[in-house]
Amino acid sequence: MDSSSKKVSIFKRRKFRSEEKKDMISGYLYIAPFFIIFALIGLYPALFSIYLAFQKWNGFSPMTFNGLANFELVLTDPLFWKSVYNTIVMGIMGTAPQLIVGLILAYLLNMAFLKFKSYFRITIFMPYLTSMVAVALIFSVLFSNHESSLANYVLTNFFGLDPIAWAASEWGTKIAISLMVFWRWVGYNTIIYLAGIQSIPNDLYEAATIDGANRIQQLRYITIPMMKPFIILTVFTSTVGAMQLFSEPTVFLGADAFTRDEAMTIVMYLYRDAFRLQSFGTASATAIILLILITIFAVINLRLTQGFGKKRGRSK
Amino acid sequence: MKRMKKLVVLGLASLLALTLAACSDKDAEKSSGTSGDKEITLDFWTFGATGYEELAKEYEKENPNVKIKVKSSETADHHDALFTSLSAGSGAPDIAMLEIDQFDRFKVAQDRFENLYDLGANDVKDQYLDWKWKSGENVDGDFLFGLPTDIGPKALYYRIDLFEQAGLPTDPDEVASLISTPEAFEEAGIKVKEETGMPFVDSIEMAFRAYLDAAETAYLTPDNELNLGEDSEVKKAYDYAVHLNELGIVGKYEMWSPEWANAVNKGEFAAELGAGWLKGWMEGNAPEAVGKWRVATLPTDFAANWGGSYIAVPSETEYAQEAYDFIEWLVSPENQLKSFQSHGLFPSAQSVYDMDEFKTNEDEFFGGQATAPVFAEAAQDIAGIGYKGEKYFPIHNEILNALKNVQNNGSDPEEEWEAAIKRAEDLMKR
Repeated sequence: MDSSSKKVSIFKRRKFRSEEKKDMISGYLYIAPFFIIFALIGLYPALFSIYLAFQKWNGFSPMTFNGLANFELVLTDPLFWKSVYNTIVMGIMGTAPQLIVGLILAYLLNMAFLKFKSYFRITIFMPYLTSMVAVALIFSVLFSNHESSLANYVLTNFFGLDPIAWAASEWGTKIAISLMVFWRWVGYNTIIYLAGIQSIPNDLYEAATIDGANRIQQLRYITIPMMKPFIILTVFTSTVGAMQLFSEPTVFLGADAFTRDEAMTIVMYLYRDAFRLQSFGTASATAIILLILITIFAVINLRLTQGFGKKRGRSK
Repeated sequence: MKRMKKLVVLGLASLLALTLAACSDKDAEKSSGTSGDKEITLDFWTFGATGYEELAKEYEKENPNVKIKVKSSETADHHDALFTSLSAGSGAPDIAMLEIDQFDRFKVAQDRFENLYDLGANDVKDQYLDWKWKSGENVDGDFLFGLPTDIGPKALYYRIDLFEQAGLPTDPDEVASLISTPEAFEEAGIKVKEETGMPFVDSIEMAFRAYLDAAETAYLTPDNELNLGEDSEVKKAYDYAVHLNELGIVGKYEMWSPEWANAVNKGEFAAELGAGWLKGWMEGNAPEAVGKWRVATLPTDFAANWGGSYIAVPSETEYAQEAYDFIEWLVSPENQLKSFQSHGLFPSAQSVYDMDEFKTNEDEFFGGQATAPVFAEAAQDIAGIGYKGEKYFPIHNEILNALKNVQNNGSDPEEEWEAAIKRAEDLMKR
């Protein structure tokens, strides 16, 4: 009796304590907090919003099934299409220059003869670390409607142009917000590109120099093709980021953010539905439409950037 | 597969642990409530500058077993947080302040609040202005959401320097008797424009609100139907604003913008249809205008309320009666006088209006005029507050955008009106 039970326990313990199992359990324990929190505040709301998209709900009263009516309401709303247009326009104005300038800046920062490298690297990255609210507040002072705001002062005194209502005109708002997005994110992309450039082996350049390629040719035929994975990464994240533009325009416009349509983005439209109109159904429907739009744009952009890399490769 | 199972078990176990922890927390709280004299804590959410922190301390002294935790936040954040917690069914405070314009979006959730009539509110009903009390009730009048705090009776703020230049009287009583009808209001505006070149009213929003705030039925009927026909009160307010704009007496300032603040300071418009709380803002933010503004009673057609709050008890609380006792004390006439003196919250208890400390409170900023009685008179002129409804503000913004387009782009008022109605109808479908 005694000996048999001992045997079993030894057997069990051995099985339980095998190194592999222990590793596995501690591994799961380490990642568990993330998964639990993700399930609670990431996955659950995401799934719930899909359910909500087919309901009419004001936050308090019981939900009623609404079929596809929410989608119809959103898709036939001119303001929704205006917000799609705004998002795309600001996305192009804010992110496309960012990627090009980021690449150039990274190239310059990597030049051998540049002095104070770390100083420049840090200053370029600084805007990314600055609090969003502070950035938007400062920009809303620089670009205010008033004739004497700094932006208008420069326009009128140095260029002899008319002052612009930066927070209340169709293009004024878009330009001001795009500039803000550009200023804030260009450093982030520059750092990624810089890391990419530094990962390119030096002997490629040496070989090119021996073959007589100049700096521009080296940039075109070595740097950019080798940077392809990094460019794809930044294009992907920037596209998703641009489609989700929200805090910049909201803080920039302050009280007018949800009443005017010049800079209303898709996410602002969604937020307005949920928290200004108490219409969580249409807000969720908008979220699903946004998901589809983001997927489409991300795929288009990926195709474009991959194609671009391939062509370069072939022409070589 | 086996790994998957392990993961699921692990996840479930942790979830269980979390929920158990949460439960035990609540149990502890509950048991402390049942045992008589034990100390209880009331969470109280407020917004803006109310000075309720100091009053709460006073109450704690008188009632040693009650602790009040006051949390004050910005108006929009406060209401959004409250909305979320009430909607989720947990996390709401024991006591919450509600702004009158936000109130109606909470009234659809009657089951999430305590009926203050069940806690003894009938006994204090007569202390407060009737119209203020009524809008704290539900549509049927058998459920009371909140006790009244402050109100925002509207009056005519005017610049004496511009009035003088235009050949108008500057004494508040004379101004009130001269500008006693909407027509006289308009004539005074034309005079100011002709003589000084300055606009009379600061913005088209204020011109619109002249009639709108006084409307018995604004955008929505109590059945939540849009009320925007040709002979509706909103249309009348709209037409009046368009008319004043055509006369050229409406300025292009936007309230609270830096340009507007500058104009208040420098006297770049002559009149503002402002509520009592504007006074406090002016005193703090228009240092160059000391002695230049006065306050007079508005024409009866424009007598209206703008702003003010209530204090409610969400039904999640464990201590409904204790919470009610505190707020009944907090908004008593004596304490309303204190809130008025320290933070300019205009009292809704009419007995305060007869108190000497209230009547003789002279305002340096207004050249020594005792403005409180003007607002008190305005408060008693108010016929009632119209039903607002959940979607009051979104609709208001649509109509306001139409008016701004008329003013800024010179577009056709009728076309803008039609377009705004279409957008409003669209909002109502959501």
